This record gives sequence, C-alpha cells and structure tokens, in this order.
Amino acid sequence: MSDSSVAVRVDHLSKHFRIPLDRSATLKHRVTHWRSASRYRILDALLDVSFDVSNGEFIGIIGHNGSGKSTLLKILSRIYRPDEGRVVVNGKVSPFLELGVGFNPELTARENIFLSGAILGLGRTELHRVFDEIIGFAELEQFVDHKLKNFSSGMEVRLAFSLAIQAHAEILMMDEVLAVGDAAFQQKCLDIFNRYKREGRTIVLVTHSIEAVTTYCDRALLLDHGRLVGDGSAIDVTAQYRRAIGLHSGSSHLAAEVERRGSGDVVVTGMRMLDERGGEDANPLTGGFTRFELGYRIQNDAVSEFTCVLCIARGDGLIISESTLPVSQYAQVGVSQRGSGGTILYDIPQLPLLDGDYSATVELQGRRDGATFDRLEHAIRFHVIDKRARRGAIETGGVWSVVPNEQPAMWAAPPAATPEATPRERRPARRR
Amino acid sequence: MTATADARRPGAGSAPQISDFHHYRQLTLELAISQFKLRYTQSVLGYVWSLLKPAMLFGVTYFIFVDLFKINDGTQFYGMQVLLGIVVWTFFAECTGSSMGAIAGSAGLIRKAYFPRSIVVIAASLSSLFTFLINMLIVFAIAVLLHQIDIGLRMLIVIPLLLELYVLALGLSLFLASLHVQFHDVGHLWDVLLQVLFYGSGVMFSLTYVLQRLHYALAVGVKTPSPPRLTWIIELMTANPITQIIEDLRHALLAPEAPWTELVVTGHLVADRQYAAVNAPWLLPVPFLVVIAIFICGSLIFRARARYFAENL
Repeated sequence: MSDSSVAVRVDHLSKHFRIPLDRSATLKHRVTHWRSASRYRILDALLDVSFDVSNGEFIGIIGHNGSGKSTLLKILSRIYRPDEGRVVVNGKVSPFLELGVGFNPELTARENIFLSGAILGLGRTELHRVFDEIIGFAELEQFVDHKLKNFSSGMEVRLAFSLAIQAHAEILMMDEVLAVGDAAFQQKCLDIFNRYKREGRTIVLVTHSIEAVTTYCDRALLLDHGRLVGDGSAIDVTAQYRRAIGLHSGSSHLAAEVERRGSGDVVVTGMRMLDERGGEDANPLTGGFTRFELGYRIQNDAVSEFTCVLCIARGDGLIISESTLPVSQYAQVGVSQRGSGGTILYDIPQLPLLDGDYSATVELQGRRDGATFDRLEHAIRFHVIDKRARRGAIETGGVWSVVPNEQPAMWAAPPAATPEATPRERRPARRR
Repeated sequence: MTATADARRPGAGSAPQISDFHHYRQLTLELAISQFKLRYTQSVLGYVWSLLKPAMLFGVTYFIFVDLFKINDGTQFYGMQVLLGIVVWTFFAECTGSSMGAIAGSAGLIRKAYFPRSIVVIAASLSSLFTFLINMLIVFAIAVLLHQIDIGLRMLIVIPLLLELYVLALGLSLFLASLHVQFHDVGHLWDVLLQVLFYGSGVMFSLTYVLQRLHYALAVGVKTPSPPRLTWIIELMTANPITQIIEDLRHALLAPEAPWTELVVTGHLVADRQYAAVNAPWLLPVPFLVVIAIFICGSLIFRARARYFAENL
C-alpha cells in the first residue's frame, strides 16, 4: 500500500482446507454424534507464499493440478479468505475468474448480458450503450432473444468473452480462459491480452498453457504443493516447470520395458543421459551439453570387434540422426576376454533438438556381417526443453542478419567481392 | 480502491464504497428479476401457479374450517380474512424456503465471483416479495369488488406491516441459509417447524375467534380446557409476530370492527369487553422485539459464516 506501483502484494500467505472425513453433512448426524468431535484432514493449499505484482505486469501462475494456483487466484479475488498472512490489492479487481459466470441457460442472451454484466459491475445504462458492441463482437446478432440453452458452447463462450472484456477492472484475474474455445477464439483472447497489455492493466493468468505464458507473460510463478518454488521471467519459470513435470514422468535410466532383440554376443548393460554436471537428466535443454552413457559386456569370446549405433528419433518415429562408432579401434576389444566390458560415451556439446519428445535407440552390431548382437528399441525416452518454446525439430545453428537496402542485394550485385568477405561486413542482428 | 484481506483482521476486506453499493444494489435487482422471470417462464401456467397454490390452500381451509366446523368470529368477511392469512403465510413459507437454498443454489456464482454473499439471499427473498405483492393486490381487488370495503387512512398501516413481515422473513432466511450450507437437512427440519407455525400463527382462524372461544369458555364456566391454559396459548400466539402481522393486516384491510392485536393483549378499549379475558400489556412490544432479534441474529450469523461459503459449498 505504501508503494503505489505495486498492484498486488502477497505477504506470507497460507491457506488450509479442512477436509471432513465424515461424509455426512447433516444436522441429524451432528446431533446424534455430538460427543465425537468431527474428524477432518488438513490440506495445505498454500504455504507461506509471498510475492508482489507491479502495476501493468502480466503475470502467469503455473503448476500441476492441485498445486494451489486456483486457490491463490481465489484469494486474490477475495472469494477465499487467507488463513495466515496478508493480501493487499490496489485497484479495482475484475470479479471474474472464469468466463460466463452467472449465465443461466434458461434466460435469453439479452437477459444474460444484463445479469452477468451486473456481476461484472456494469450498470444498466452502460450495458444498453455497449449492448450492440457486445453482440457484434460475439457475432450473435441473430440470436439475441434466444435462450442460452439453445446456444452451442462456442456461441456461449463468445458471448461470455465479449461481455467480460467490457469490464473496467484495472486488475484482471483469469483462470484457464484459454482452455475453452477453438483456435479462432483463442486468437481473439490473445488479441485482447495484447490490448490489455498496451493499456497497462495488470493481469494475473492461471493456465496450463505454457505457450500462452511464454508469449504473453512478463513473469511467471510456479507453485508446487502450495509452495512458491519459482518466481522469475516467464521463460525461465516455464522451463523449470517443464523440467519438473518431465522428471516425474520419465527417467534417464534404461527403461525396463524395452523392446530388445539380438544374438546376445555383446549386450548393453545400461544406458543413461547426463547433463554437463554429470547428473542424470531426462529433460535436457536445447543448446545444452548432453552425454549418452552406455555400458556393454562381451558374452562371446569369438567377438573381437563390433559397431555401436545410436539412433535419435522424434516421438512420431522420424529419425533425426544416426551415429556409428566402430568400437574395436578404441577399446582393444580383440584382446579382451569373455565377460569383459566397458563404457561408451556419446557427447553432444550443444543439443540441436527443439522442444518435444524424443527417444534413443541403440544397437550393437557385428563389424563384418552387420549381425545384430543387441538392439534396444527406444532404450531411453527423453523430453527436450527449449526455453524459448520454438516449434520444429532441430535448431540449425543458423545466424540471422539483415542487409540494409542501400547496399545492393548480394544476388543482384556482380560478384565483385569475394564470398568470404561478405559475412564480415554484415551486422549480425540476432532475432529471438 | 484498496482491498486488504488479512488473516488477523477478519473484517478488513469488506470496506464498501459508494460505487460498490450502487453496483451491489443493481446486482441484487438483476438477480431478483431474473429469478422471478425464471420461476414463471418455465411453466405453461406461469404466474398462475403462484395464485393456484394459495387458492387451493384457501379452498381446502375454507371448506374445512368455515363450512364444516363453522368457525366464524362474526365479522363481516371472514372468508376474505382466511384468504389474506393464507397469502401472507404462503409468502413467509416460500420466502424462507427458497432463500434458505439460495446459497447452495448459486454455488457456481459464489465459487467464481466475489460479491457480498447476502445479495443472493436478498435477491431470492425479493423475488418472493414480488409475487406476494401482486397476490396482495389481487386479494385487495377481490375484497373491494365483492364487499365494497371502506377505504380509510388506517390502511396506511399496511406499509410498515409489510416491512415488518419482510424483515422477519429476511432475518430468518439469512439464518437458515447460513445453516443450510453446512447442514443440508435443515430444509426438512424447517418444513416441520413451518407446519407447527402454520397452526400457531392464526392463519385460518382469527385471533378474535380464539378470544371469543375463550370468553365463551369463561362465561359459561366450562372447566375443561381450563382457562389458564387457554390464556397461555393466546399469549404465545400474540407473541408470534406472524399472528400479529396477519391480524393487523386483517384489521387494516378487511375487518375494521375487529380490534388491533395490540389492543387485544392490553385488554381494554373493546366496546363490550368481550375480549378482556387476556390482559397482558407486557406482550405489546414482544412481536416487534422478536422480529428485530431474529433479524439481528440472522444477519450476524450470516456475516460470520459468509466468509467460508465459497470453500464450504
């Protein structure tokens, strides 16, 4: 409150829910069981959460289901009361958490606009003034006096959204707005977000859409089991979130259920992925150091040398790269005895893969005949995280530059200058 | 506007301002109007339903009590008096019944948007009030048409009486609604209590009639039931604000010859002193005090519980 640039201040906020263990919620039960104190389990929805939101900031709250993000938004909107700590909100808050709150299917679009508009704090005269605008934006001119229950869900959402953007709130709290609607509608939402951003309104958005957070939010908060575990730029926090959810689902170890075939003359004893610090990591970052580590053991004395093939494929099966290592040259396999083995390393200094699911398939082959000793289909499945959430499969490593118009374009000018000289004259202008 | 929610200062978040007040007043009206619309646009008969229910109750009551048991206090339009009582009672029962479930019924709204929770209950009660006022107009119109009752200044007392009735119903609604969020069987309990109250409120017999019976019993020296016990019943009935409201409405609108309830309990100013059997002036303020107490308690309990509605629903 002392600082006028702060729109929302949350100070050591905690919220606990009492989940009753007795299912019955009746007076009769309370009277007949008056001696036994009602039993309940305490669920910590939020634990000691503190942060500030500046005026005009667009902040995203992310976290897995049940991490407390909706509870936090409800406390900010004054729907829930904090149990401990303090929440200060400077400015008029949009009382909407979701679209279409207060809509009644039995009422017509017109009646719903006035009812739901009243919840938004819009006066009757004002609603009359913007009525045509709302209906026009929702593209529902022909359905003004139809009951809402006869609307398709898309029509209903359009109506709700057109109405919601009329609210004058300085601080907007939104919960999963992007979860509804088709692509065209989502685009409309995003256009409105941009408008709000330009107008300098403060927006708090709870969403599962990491893309929306990275594109629109200046800042993101990451909640995990009621604790604030991440607070920073949208790019960093979403990357942290994706690493966190990835680590829950997979492991860099050799998956137990791997499709495996081969003669077994040489076998793979283990395989894992490591990051630059040597820690296991099934969620490598684009551009980061990645090492595949593979253990082998020779089971047959007759084998003197073999080839290791590592194949990286995208989730949909597209093979991105295949790399082969003839092992005998390095490891003196020919000398080794049966039962001996070793470790093969495959380092990628700057992982060129972009966001998505990938897998590594490994095969040990005989050098001469190419016979399969051991083949592990999708031995490791991993999820690459690109902090910038770009589309595509690979980072080409290409460099952007812009040649100003005054200079003749390269293909138009006679090739007087040597090709080697050209790059030095360019001013590199890296685009994100 | 600055809103502060502080765990240590429970009331700190609710500092209403003028614009807020205007906004909430409008929200209340919109909710009440849409509920009123919904109640009557979803059925074929529409508004007729709200007339049919008291009309049926009236038909049955009139047949049993007036035709069959010949209950009549000698005033001119006894049937109309019963009808008036039933219209008032229908409002009371419907208003408390529908407002009680209003919080649970608007769970979606309460979990998703912030506004003072009492708005939902007030809107539900207003919606019942609209119906009631229309019904009252119809009763009045019938009375004027059938009997050419004399319109006088005493009818103005109807306004504070209706206000008293509404405050009573709203206070009870707030109390019941906050209880209902936690205990869903409050509805059944309230139904039972309404049955008892129906007979304790002099809906289908006027207080005058009860007094006449008492007087008669005293005059002819009937030993059973004993007079003291009857007096006790009368006193309890007049302490009940619903009895007082119905009786006074009857006197103001239909039966000028019957006394005000207030005069009944003080036991004087009755021409032939036939009502003088009860003399308890201390009963005079009791109905009003009951209304005020119920309203204050209901509001306070609601206020204390309302903070947790969103999470308890």
